[in-house]
Amino acid sequence: MLTMTEVKKIFRTDLVETHALRDFNLQVDEGEFVAVTGPSGSGKTTFLNIAGLLETFEGGKYELDGQDVSRLNDKKRSQLRNEKIGFIFQSFNLIPDLNLFDNVDVPLRYRGFKGAERKKRIEESLELVGLANRMKHLPSQLSGGQQQRVAIARALAGNPRFLLADEPTGNLDSKMALSVLELLKQINDQGTTIVMVTHDQHLATQAKRNIYVRDGRVSELSELTDINEINLHQAANG
Amino acid sequence: MSSNQWEIGPIFRALMRNKVGAILIAIQIAVTMTIVVNSIFIILERATKIERESGIDEINSFYLTTTGFGSNFDPKSTATNDLELIRSTAGVLDAIQINAIPVSGGGWSMSFQTEPGEEKETEGAAIYMVDEHGINALDLEVIAGENFAAGDVRWRPAGVRDWPDNVIITKVLAESLFPDIGYQDVVGKTIYIQQNEPMIVKGIVDKIQAPWVGWDDLEHTVLTPEITEFESNRYYIRAQPGQRDAIMPIIEEALASSNKQRIIRGMRTVQETRERSYRADTAMIKILSTTMIILTIVTGLGIVGLASFSVNRRKKQIGTRRALGASQQAIVRYFMLENFLISTVGVLLGAVLTVGLNMLLVNIFSLNALDWYFVPAGMLVLWLVGQIAVFGPAKKAANIPPALATRTV
Ligand SMILES: Nc1ncnc2c1ncn2[C@@H]1O[C@H](COP(=O)(O)OP(=O)(O)O)[C@@H](O)[C@H]1O
Ligand SMILES: [Mg+2]
Repeated sequence: MLTMTEVKKIFRTDLVETHALRDFNLQVDEGEFVAVTGPSGSGKTTFLNIAGLLETFEGGKYELDGQDVSRLNDKKRSQLRNEKIGFIFQSFNLIPDLNLFDNVDVPLRYRGFKGAERKKRIEESLELVGLANRMKHLPSQLSGGQQQRVAIARALAGNPRFLLADEPTGNLDSKMALSVLELLKQINDQGTTIVMVTHDQHLATQAKRNIYVRDGRVSELSELTDINEINLHQAANG
Repeated sequence: MSSNQWEIGPIFRALMRNKVGAILIAIQIAVTMTIVVNSIFIILERATKIERESGIDEINSFYLTTTGFGSNFDPKSTATNDLELIRSTAGVLDAIQINAIPVSGGGWSMSFQTEPGEEKETEGAAIYMVDEHGINALDLEVIAGENFAAGDVRWRPAGVRDWPDNVIITKVLAESLFPDIGYQDVVGKTIYIQQNEPMIVKGIVDKIQAPWVGWDDLEHTVLTPEITEFESNRYYIRAQPGQRDAIMPIIEEALASSNKQRIIRGMRTVQETRERSYRADTAMIKILSTTMIILTIVTGLGIVGLASFSVNRRKKQIGTRRALGASQQAIVRYFMLENFLISTVGVLLGAVLTVGLNMLLVNIFSLNALDWYFVPAGMLVLWLVGQIAVFGPAKKAANIPPALATRTV
């Protein structure tokens, strides 16, 4: 489904070389809900960006849905991103000048869906996150939790195989964070594979599988629960 | 590419939330279009005016004025000797004495009519007094009838008020005077000057302009066969091709030394005379062109500025759009389309203002009304200016890395 083998990512500036990912190995199977934790600067976002085709990488191999995506041009990468991947960001990243309907519409237009199809999908996905009655509202008229729900609706409207979330609850209070997590679990139950980066151990343990990233590598972690440890070994060996 | 990817609706709605900059640019586009289109229209009209041909061999010709003095100055013998001298000078193609110079701005005009008497319809026409060399010296073509014979030419003393029996007129004047017959048939007709004095049309020439370039009936011209016996007379000299500048000082010197009882002044080429006569028009063209170009550049820069500003303001949004599947091409298209919408408002407003300004100019300065196609052409040009101006910032936007969506908070 999503397989990274020996993926390397180096950020070069004039003075320093940062090895953000070193021989990063990970396999995520269909239907999984993976929580990624790790210290700040360990490479979690970098991993997610590469997984989501937002960034390129130097060495190793990355297969998405059985397709080697190491050497695709911008157009092809954009298309794959649009069709297979839904993104959720820490700061929601809704477009402030567009109402909820138009926000959810953004990826659907890039997909090339017809008007009626887009309308149906927008209404359905806003329905799913419980904001169908606020379609004409602007993002600024919503609370943070509601904005993140719209972002989830936007990520889901195109029926992606993967949902990639970078600290989706990072800007939310714990009550809102929990409700967003519940929503993600519900989405995962309906078959969407989810990879979620979080610094919140409590939230992470609610995912089906936990991985820990340290120093640009998937690493073992003793304090994880048994079930997560098993997953971790699977990941390291897979 | 599917038409659903054209984000006109969302772009428009997003624009409506950030109106001020867009409206200012639209107004700038409208004003620029108004001034550019009206300027181009005026420039083209002036250029057409300047390009009209006088009908004479301007490039090879020059003229001068000779003024006699003293009690025993004899205009007749002076003219006869002068013309003989000039015509026999090497490099001269032909020469005449003439009362006025085409395109110079100064000359004589009279009214002509086809029936004698008062209160008849008349046509005004410029008069050039020439001898039988006139046709050749001025480089005209007799297209019907014939040239003056030497015997037709009379002396015209100062103060005389009557006119010779024969005239040659331009085709345009022939057609104005006799609209119902072909110009060839005007040969032999009688026309009347000073209401009752008959003149017979001996020939028709293709074209020679009157001296006044701003006159509506510019090609209403009559040649009369006469040489003036005034104190002051003008000679018009047509040089062999390429010889003009060489023979000008020679002729001046020869005339001066052949007869000491006169002074020679105002020697000037027809070319220079044309430049002087159209100086206001050429100046107007230069001023309007400069204004137009500066204004277009300023507007283009304004568009670049607004677009760069909005790209910078929307960096994160652009990254997000990329993350959601926008290709680089889709980002370029977004900004081009946004500019197109702003420009469309601008050029529509511009179309109204353009016609309005033209109507104002028509009323105040009696300019001609704009041809309709200037408006769509102007719209097209301003659209194009906008698209070219926005392309750089749009490219810059397309190069914003998608990772910006996750890297900025
Ligand atoms: N664009 C960049 N240029 C240079 N270094 C970067 C860039 N992005 C990330 N890094 C570095 O790569 C490392 C991993 O970053 P990141 O993946 O964002 O970590 P995390 O998300 O786990 O906090 C860090 O040391 C970070 O400073
Ligand atoms: Mg991070």
